[in-house]
Amino acid sequence: MQESISGLLMVIGAVFMFLAAVGIVRQPDVYLRMSSTSKATTLGIGSMLLAAAFYFGEFSITARAVAAIAFIMVSAPVSSHVLGSAAYFSGAPLWEGTLTDELRGHYDLRTQELESVSFPELDVHLPDIEVRKFRLPETSSLVNRTLADIDLRRKYDITLLAIRRGQNVISNPGGDMLIMGGDELVIMGSPDRLKEVRNALHRARQAAAHTKDQTSL
Amino acid sequence: MTLQDLALYGVLPLLTLAVLLAVFRLGRGPDLPDRVLALDLIATLIMGMMAVYAIATNSPVLLDLVIILALLSFMGTVAFARYIAKRT
Repeated sequence: MQESISGLLMVIGAVFMFLAAVGIVRQPDVYLRMSSTSKATTLGIGSMLLAAAFYFGEFSITARAVAAIAFIMVSAPVSSHVLGSAAYFSGAPLWEGTLTDELRGHYDLRTQELESVSFPELDVHLPDIEVRKFRLPETSSLVNRTLADIDLRRKYDITLLAIRRGQNVISNPGGDMLIMGGDELVIMGSPDRLKEVRNALHRARQAAAHTKDQTSL
Repeated sequence: MTLQDLALYGVLPLLTLAVLLAVFRLGRGPDLPDRVLALDLIATLIMGMMAVYAIATNSPVLLDLVIILALLSFMGTVAFARYIAKRT
């Protein structure tokens, strides 16, 4: 009786683990692979260890098997979550059939900060346009210049919708508006343009950290 | 067919095949996270093999190694993930 339960559990575990291996080969991107391996291996190794516990039928061995199962049940979700977020930050591509990426545009991939600037209706109606918020560093060369002078629209092909300065929000700022350090700029444009702006700001921030002098943006 | 036969001739070959599939993903990549995932899966498969081999050879001491390997593979995966996140 014990032997047949043990054999059944062993076969179930082996099938689950084999399916995990099939999943890691067949699934189209790293996140889907992870979803198939982490679930299947947790169940697979769990029933394998239960099979051993049933086979030996001694208290000390059962205790060890249960401890191992408990550890794997706790550690497998943690390790796949850590690996999944690392993969997302490193820019691992998503399967082209992915319907939604709800983190897109909300994460600053460099600082790994989550922002909640969200305009879901805009995403639906104008898929090629994004609205994002950028904080201007104090050392930026844009500081103490007017909007007419900077001419973001012509230089970067983006539209400045609003400026947040402390508690105040200045919407639709005019050409004589003076930019100050620490301003948060709400900018609308195509995703590529916004990426350029983000990279320029990042370079400016790094250069300021290294040399304390002023750079392009 | 005894349980030992089932373990040696049924379950272990299936797990070996699974390791080969994981090794394919390890070589193919295409990115570092895929390879780390494949390594994690291989470690888990070896843990399963150890449990099966413990049954097949009637040597429960191998179950202790399963716990140790579980610990090591968890630490390894987390360390790799930290490395991937820091690298970018």
